Amino acid sequence: MKSYTGKILRVDLSRGGATEENTREEWLDKYYGQKGLGIRYLLEDIDPSIAPLSPENEIILTPSIFGGTLIPNSGKLAITSKSPATGTVSDGSVGGAIGTEIKYAGYDAIIVKGKADRLVYLYITPDKTEIKDAEFLRGKGTFQSELMLKRELKDEEVKVLSIGPAGENLVKLACITSEFYRQQGRGGIGAVMGSKNLKAIAVRGGKDIAVPDMPSFLSSLREIIKESVLIPDNDFLLSDGTWPYGDWMQEGGIVPTRNFQTGISPTYEKFHSELRGKFKKSSKACIACPLACGNYIEMDGIAFEGPEYESLNMAGSNCQIPDLKAIVQLNKALDDLGLDSISTGNIIAFIMEMTERGIHDFGIRFGDTENYLKLPEKIAFRHGIGNDLAEGVRFLSEKYGGKNFAMHVKGLEIPSYDPRGAWAMGLAYATSDRGACHQRAFTPVDEVIMKTVDPYTFEGKAKLVMDLQDAQAVKFSIGICDFWGLDLDLLAKLVNMTTESNVDSDGLTKAGERIYNLGRIFNVMAGFRSKEDTLPERLFTDPLPEGPAEGKVLPRKEFEAALSEYYRLRGWNEEGIPSRQRLEEIGVDKAAIKKFDQYWNSYSA
Amino acid sequence: MKLRFDSEKCTGCKSCELACSAKHEGVFNPQKARLRIIDHYTETGRETKLKSCTLCLECVEACPVEAITSNGKWLSLDDELCTGCEVCVDTCPEGVIHMKSDGLPAIPDLCQGNPYCVEWCPQKCLTVEVE
Repeated sequence: MKSYTGKILRVDLSRGGATEENTREEWLDKYYGQKGLGIRYLLEDIDPSIAPLSPENEIILTPSIFGGTLIPNSGKLAITSKSPATGTVSDGSVGGAIGTEIKYAGYDAIIVKGKADRLVYLYITPDKTEIKDAEFLRGKGTFQSELMLKRELKDEEVKVLSIGPAGENLVKLACITSEFYRQQGRGGIGAVMGSKNLKAIAVRGGKDIAVPDMPSFLSSLREIIKESVLIPDNDFLLSDGTWPYGDWMQEGGIVPTRNFQTGISPTYEKFHSELRGKFKKSSKACIACPLACGNYIEMDGIAFEGPEYESLNMAGSNCQIPDLKAIVQLNKALDDLGLDSISTGNIIAFIMEMTERGIHDFGIRFGDTENYLKLPEKIAFRHGIGNDLAEGVRFLSEKYGGKNFAMHVKGLEIPSYDPRGAWAMGLAYATSDRGACHQRAFTPVDEVIMKTVDPYTFEGKAKLVMDLQDAQAVKFSIGICDFWGLDLDLLAKLVNMTTESNVDSDGLTKAGERIYNLGRIFNVMAGFRSKEDTLPERLFTDPLPEGPAEGKVLPRKEFEAALSEYYRLRGWNEEGIPSRQRLEEIGVDKAAIKKFDQYWNSYSA
Repeated sequence: MKLRFDSEKCTGCKSCELACSAKHEGVFNPQKARLRIIDHYTETGRETKLKSCTLCLECVEACPVEAITSNGKWLSLDDELCTGCEVCVDTCPEGVIHMKSDGLPAIPDLCQGNPYCVEWCPQKCLTVEVE
């Protein structure tokens, strides 16, 4: 017995029907679930060069291979698609309990393609899948959408993924929401749902998830949780969630402030201490997570979960907002409208700087709380200037200027870690498979928090970034949340306990490399080359003005050399293209290699 | 003897439900748990509650063949007497009795005094209250 269900669900919204098929078993040992399986199906099903908002694009939902069991931190759901923000492949994950519910409904994956002729939602149970009218939810926020669906289905425990107005209006920073405050935030995948006229997906399970030997599974797990999860190193997650990351980044001087003009936030520690001391009421977990990083707060009548470090800073100091309550109000509005708080904070900071520099007057300057609070709705409904903001910071800089300080990679806005004080992070952003993402290789652990490596050098960083990317790729494919920092030996043990396989940490490292290359194959086929593996000019030219990283920029020549070294280590050529030989060595499946070959032959011809 | 629940400490992780179904039914399935955690957001804020046996004894009274008994601490089912009529399932005001695949109801029995859900609660918000 294995924890896989053996079935996937395909929904074609153009045809208006759903079919079940067997999971491609030969892919499971190579790519596992979540990220790996999602990218593999996407590569199989679509031409990577298609327009992300066309009916041909797919949304692929893949739970953790441990989903539904008591294995800690396995509750998340990966959502994979071609991103309208970047044009790359994009897998992101959303917490809560929707991922496990999909397993309980009987599926290793749900794949949605096509476009409905009216606004619809899916109602998925073990017995059937219905495509139902969702006109009554049009224009509704994600909070109301979820509550109304629960009422409509007469089930307060049904699990829901929904988009807000931002997704409906094809905003390129639209996210997909579950349980109000759990977001698949990055890459505008909410707009892909919107382009399909798909407002929501409601799932209700009921099936069993089995493991090979339950009594020994449970006793091993008890031990693992005691030794590796509920340990003092992890206590901060229950008490403070992600807030301490901001304090640690302050110590490294890399907290983006005033659109990355400095790396020291004047307000961060104060906000953190107020949130923790005055406003936090309780901790909230995803299913089967003992760590519970969600901070439920109540502030002047506002009930809210968050703001996380990323939101607190990107929509806080990065826009120089001095008022904690305003940040909370903005963040809550973004969650309801279905907007990514990282990208929104980045974009607002950009137009503030544009206005202050006199390049274009967007009518808002740093610290202008009043106008800042008006923007989420404008973006989500594409009203006025919101229509341009909805296209992202790259678009804005191409239309209005300011390219040098448009802080994005491949069209995805940079999150709350400034690479000038953690140089490997620069390489990580540049080579991430979905644009500027901090979760593909989170180097500040080594460079800033643990200080095991010098943050101001590229020496050894190509290897560091590659190793972290591969380890994260396999961790996110098997499906363990970022916040449990388990090593690959333990991860291998869990895989073996759950799936009757016999894998070790070397095997998992290789799987990580295989999965990372799969994403690269997709992106190369989508037209990406080495010239896109770069960073905004500001990071090469404007020294950080204060703090521990004062005077630091990324030296361009050294960055380029590190990028070349990274390609060499990966077995990619100077254009960043994987070699057939390396793909075979790391065990990418033959059909994927063949697809890549065919692309390459037609490209060269 | 019953479960005591600290709703402010509960994180909504539902480890208790999963542990319950794993122990009693040998599989993971929250719908087969003999207790339920509701933890969700409403228009006004967060709502966290436990549904579990309160020893109200409505099922004991409703059972037409007297298959369910209480020892004052937890419930027991006499498999021989039970006809699988499901009256207990319909009667339970907490909604925590369900039918098993063997045709018998899963009765909240507090694991005969050592509830597995309590053992698995990572926040110790579920405890056993002895009266």
